[in-house]
Amino acid sequence: MSSAASNVAAAGSGVRGDSGPGRRPPASPGGPPHSARVVRSASGAISVAAALVIWLALLGPVITLLMHISPGAARTALTSPGALEPLVVSVESGAVTLAVLLVLGTPLAWLLARGRLPFPRVWEAGLLLVLLLPPLVIGLLLVFMVGPFTPVGHGLEALHLSASNTFLALVIAQVYESAPYYVLGAQAAIGSVDPRLEQQAALLGDRPRRVLRRVTLPLAGPGLAMALAVAWARAMGAFGAVIIVAYHPYGLPLQIWTTLQETGLDSALPFAVVLLVVALPLPLAAYVWSARAQRRRRG
Amino acid sequence: MLSAAVEVDRRDFLVCAELAVAPGERLALFGPSGAGKTTILEAVAGLVRPRRAQITLGGRVLTSTAPPRADVPPWRRRVGLLRQDPGLFPHLSVRANLAYGPGSDRHGQELGALAARLGIEGLLDAMPARLSGGQQHRVALGRLLLARCDALLLDEPYAGLDASLRRGLTDLVRTLVADRRVPSVLVAHELEEAQAFADQLAVLDHGVILQAGAPGEVVRQPASRRVAELVGYLGFVPVTRSRRPGPSGVHVLPGLDTEGRAAGDTLSGDGTGAGQEAFAVAGPVAGTVAPAEAAGPAARPGGEPATGIVAGIHPERVVPGAQPGRGLVLTGPLTVVRPSGAGWEAELMVAGHRITCRLPDRPEPDNGQLTVTALDPPLFGPGGTAVGQAEQDGAVGSSYGPGRTAP
Repeated sequence: MSSAASNVAAAGSGVRGDSGPGRRPPASPGGPPHSARVVRSASGAISVAAALVIWLALLGPVITLLMHISPGAARTALTSPGALEPLVVSVESGAVTLAVLLVLGTPLAWLLARGRLPFPRVWEAGLLLVLLLPPLVIGLLLVFMVGPFTPVGHGLEALHLSASNTFLALVIAQVYESAPYYVLGAQAAIGSVDPRLEQQAALLGDRPRRVLRRVTLPLAGPGLAMALAVAWARAMGAFGAVIIVAYHPYGLPLQIWTTLQETGLDSALPFAVVLLVVALPLPLAAYVWSARAQRRRRG
Repeated sequence: MLSAAVEVDRRDFLVCAELAVAPGERLALFGPSGAGKTTILEAVAGLVRPRRAQITLGGRVLTSTAPPRADVPPWRRRVGLLRQDPGLFPHLSVRANLAYGPGSDRHGQELGALAARLGIEGLLDAMPARLSGGQQHRVALGRLLLARCDALLLDEPYAGLDASLRRGLTDLVRTLVADRRVPSVLVAHELEEAQAFADQLAVLDHGVILQAGAPGEVVRQPASRRVAELVGYLGFVPVTRSRRPGPSGVHVLPGLDTEGRAAGDTLSGDGTGAGQEAFAVAGPVAGTVAPAEAAGPAARPGGEPATGIVAGIHPERVVPGAQPGRGLVLTGPLTVVRPSGAGWEAELMVAGHRITCRLPDRPEPDNGQLTVTALDPPLFGPGGTAVGQAEQDGAVGSSYGPGRTAP
């Protein structure tokens, strides 16, 4: 090793010993007085207790659901003829919705994140507007936009399609309810990747597509997955817009609603469990993956 | 050889510069923040689109806005860029970062040997987040070297690191650049860093290279007052030479007569020893350079002598006491004394101008007056251009360095 390298190694070893990330400063020998520690620990305990109460309150509906559902009622409801058809409809329409969001939403999110669009605030405001519109209102407006008596409706009719009470209408409603969640989440995920890392990869010989594969997607991946998972949960639970434009075919939310109307609360609860079981695994998996990726990066 | 002539539009000015760096040569682009230094590097790296440019590297045309046009994309330029943020990929281990470039083998001998040379052989399986700043820079440097870049561009890479680490890394880069025979360009806004790295220094301001040359030469013989200001000259004293003893202030200005004409113009035919005065500071004090108020009828209102000539005073080129044989003797009331590093910083007022000097010992004023000698101060004419220098070989006149300049 050259003398220069030796110098650097020596300097580096000094730095290693000094303050590596994650090291805690040594405890002060004096420390705070006992009374201050007591007050601090008491206030800490109160904070934890308050947080626990809020957390349990937020989880209350799920806990209540699990407490009130009886295995017998669930078996009866789920084994009745055609009971699981809404599950199939929801999963299929949700998958198509995700595909649409991936194909159309990701480029938009990328353009927004990289500032490639003029007047970016206008674009973001448009997405926020869709996000803030009540789903029921979205449904009403979709009727006026893509209903059978509109130009779009006529166009669809020419293709032997309809955006009213069809699978297509269900997908459209789900896309409108979930798209802002995905695009804004994906924008944040892509925006979190430092463009200089992409430049660095390019200077090291990577073409843009290779940069995307080796740098952008791995770094934005956990955030993109979270955005996609949230969009999936929103699509699976879409109800307000769906009930207006796609009463048929039934998805799970409408199945819950009609069962509640026709046979009561006890019969509707099993379908609520099914909806949770179908909607939650993807977000949970995305969360676990994201947490693992973060932990791995921290080393 | 890296050769670049670029014009890049910026919001507030046009960056217009020419560089030529031979293999193994180290050029430092020095200038204030916002001078356009990084823009030049980015143009060479292909990250910004120039208005006009001709950039070649090792015989390859990277950018040419003149026919036949060329614009090689960044991924084909083989130009390495190291910024202040080392830009390690946070999702990859140190080993994977080092081997990121094309043709690098994660478990190859070259990687292991370079890691040992960089002092990071024990960190190959660590993630970048666990490394200190210096370690991250060494990994980033190793990554560029393993990628076999044909040129190395360093954009203030060590800002924020402590001084000893900076020195160590600078030495390392110098060694590696010399070994690999690649041209390298460092952007710096700290002169010491630029001097420690480079064998050629280019001073840049508002997108224009004001002077280029050997670092010592640029600092000792700035081509203009602006260059002098940028390389650390903090005081500028208006001067003119007079055979009449002046009341106080500035002594000795070889190379100028009382009318402020340059020595080479006036004194060459003088035959009475004046020529010796003009070209030899080492001789006895021949006269007094009067401050503005004592300059007689030629003085301008406001204290500037009619000549408009000023001497640049670098705080670190000042010695205590009157040593007329070595430069310009300055006397004035001491206004400020404060510790500075291992020595002292003093400020004195000379002809209404504040002069800062760094001295090894605490200055001892005489009745509140401090006398110091500025060593070989450069002289600047009314337009700010260098008109000479009070130095023993009597070099008078424009003092652009032998390197490339674009005044």
